[in-house]
Amino acid sequence: MITQEAPAPTAGAAAGRGRPGPRKARRRAWDEVPRWQIFLPLSIYLLFTLIPFYWILLFALRPSGSTSLIPWPMTGEHFEKVWTERSFAVYFQNSVVTGVASLLMTTLVALVGGYALARFDFRGKRPFMLGLLCSQFVPGALLLVPLFQIFAKLQLINSLTSVVIAETVFQLPLSMILIAGFIRNVPYSLEEAAWVDGCTRFRAFCTIVLPLLRPGLIAVGSFAFVHAWNHFLFALMFLSQQDKQTIPVGLNTLMSADSVDLGALAAGGIIAAVPVVIVFGFIQKWLITGFSSGAVKG
Amino acid sequence: MFTSQSRSRRHRRTASAVSLTAVLALTVAACGDDGSSASGGGEEGSGKGEITFWDNNGGVRTDVWRVIINDFQKENPGIKVKYVGIPAESVQSKYDTAIQGGGLPDVGGVGGAMLAGIAAQGALEPLDKRISGSSLDGKLNPVMSKSVKSSGGGEHMYTVPTSANNGTLWYRTDLFKKAGLDAPTTWPKFYDAAGKLTDKGDNKFGYTIRGGEGSIAQALDAMYGQSGITSFWNGDKATVNDPKNVAALEKYVGLYKKTTPSADVNNDFKKMVAQWDSGQIGMLSHNLGSYQDHVKALGGPEKFRGIPNPTLADGTRVQVSNPIDGLGLFKASKKKKAAWKFIEFAASHKANSRWNESAGAIPANVDAAKDGWIKKSESTDLAAQALSDGKIKIVELPYYLPDWNTISKADNEPNFQKVLLGKMTAKDFLDTLAEQLNEAQAEWKEQKK
Repeated sequence: MITQEAPAPTAGAAAGRGRPGPRKARRRAWDEVPRWQIFLPLSIYLLFTLIPFYWILLFALRPSGSTSLIPWPMTGEHFEKVWTERSFAVYFQNSVVTGVASLLMTTLVALVGGYALARFDFRGKRPFMLGLLCSQFVPGALLLVPLFQIFAKLQLINSLTSVVIAETVFQLPLSMILIAGFIRNVPYSLEEAAWVDGCTRFRAFCTIVLPLLRPGLIAVGSFAFVHAWNHFLFALMFLSQQDKQTIPVGLNTLMSADSVDLGALAAGGIIAAVPVVIVFGFIQKWLITGFSSGAVKG
Repeated sequence: MFTSQSRSRRHRRTASAVSLTAVLALTVAACGDDGSSASGGGEEGSGKGEITFWDNNGGVRTDVWRVIINDFQKENPGIKVKYVGIPAESVQSKYDTAIQGGGLPDVGGVGGAMLAGIAAQGALEPLDKRISGSSLDGKLNPVMSKSVKSSGGGEHMYTVPTSANNGTLWYRTDLFKKAGLDAPTTWPKFYDAAGKLTDKGDNKFGYTIRGGEGSIAQALDAMYGQSGITSFWNGDKATVNDPKNVAALEKYVGLYKKTTPSADVNNDFKKMVAQWDSGQIGMLSHNLGSYQDHVKALGGPEKFRGIPNPTLADGTRVQVSNPIDGLGLFKASKKKKAAWKFIEFAASHKANSRWNESAGAIPANVDAAKDGWIKKSESTDLAAQALSDGKIKIVELPYYLPDWNTISKADNEPNFQKVLLGKMTAKDFLDTLAEQLNEAQAEWKEQKK
């Protein structure tokens, strides 16, 4: 442990004992700055960030034709319109299916692949890792036609499965790299100890490693969910059936070539944003821990 | 003797070989021709069954299409129409992907601006014979039919025209009345009103200019409208950089920041219309399609009017052509007979009238164009009159050039923003535009040989 290896205090150090440590110095500097100098710029920045959100709420909640800057009288007409007339109930359901399925598939495959990358040495591992990184530079649009043809051959066009597969494939490289980083952080000796106690590799992984990967799994899973939830291109291209489309495509249909229903668009935007906000609200602690540990040690 | 290690290695090799073969087979299969390519493989069919229809302006027009489809299905019980609304902004890429990868619909809405590109890829069926042998013969507006033919390359009708839009100057009647101004029916009145309605200190502006996406067509409309030049081409050279056009554009661009908000440099139609609908701006140039948005936002039709673009001082009105919307029959369709029945129905008097009334556009069906609702919708009526009174001069934009969309959008919209910001002169902008157009025209002529 670091404390055991730390050198004994020297005379010089003893002489400087009266000086505050870096943490104390930071604390004092913080105390010396007037609060308003910290909170005023932050509040202005926050206000600047929140104004667009307020604008969306305003358009979604005020009646058509109103130019009021306060959403009063409040109306739910736009929400009702997009949910029922514009089929957002169906789009929402499809987006949930796509998002959850992409989350599960990405996490599962990334976990297996990440374990292999972290724990095994095999020929071509470095080029493979390089390939994974390089695949991030290929935009999805470039692969649309070949993907479309493959899905057509597999009879998966107009099926949410095609979108889930495409999303998973595009999410996997980054997710695998991240998960591999998390697994490397779990000492190998823990697994070895479990094997000595009679566990199989799989059981040791499930009982010892997996619980320690929780922040990483949450980070990767939420990333996959949010990406699939917001992604427009694959859903637009692979789903040519009204009852199969997802929220991002539905949102785009609220803007025609020469007319746009701003109230409906704002209401649709809120419907699209709420699940993501809720998910992030619940997992933000894990997300930050997860991304930082995976990214730094990966 | 095989060790367990060597057996395991052999298994891994076998598994790798099988996986590799599967991937290669799938890739080869994906690259092969399945016989349903965009330019062939279609059949007439029995005239019954399910057909797919892609609406190129999905969402906002979904309701009216559902009514039309229901009526059609009642009249043709053997045919079911599967409606798919495609977002207007993405319809070009959706068609392009389907042309390359398969999966085109039987019938699709195809706007004039994208017709050249789709027709050039051989995806659309020429419809001349079907039209002449159908109830639509003689019922389609000849100007729109000519425009559709021209947009498709000049030889065939690749779509049945359904509607036309028109450049419209929307102005706030209440603000004009308050300021004691005449309706902006001529360019001098337009500039006068733009100046007088502006009070920057009070955040009031006379006009809103389109500086973002879609700016080129609007700038061209204002430019030709003022210069009075009536042809886009002088031989094989574009007239866009004619000195009269340069002067007209300089004057128009001069409005920016003087009588318009400075944020206009990024205005696409959504921002521009939303800004005008917020109630602080006197005039807006857009097309007929935003009528319903204005009604909703301004609380009714009493506070505004939509008139065709201003005329020159002598009463001459020059404007650029608007793309004609139409319905195309795709070559790859296996049910062309049923698909054609649907197109014929959708372009018939009743359905075409219903659709255009909902969109506030000008019907392509000549009988529909005589219906009572047009008289009640002043902006549509004025646009229809302007297009049919014989006094208007239409400058036909080269929608037939496959490069038109690229030239008029990605290649030159950033340059127009530079002109607004004073970083490029109007002359340099128009010279560049003319050069690109001349090249595209020469290339197109070469390809046609």
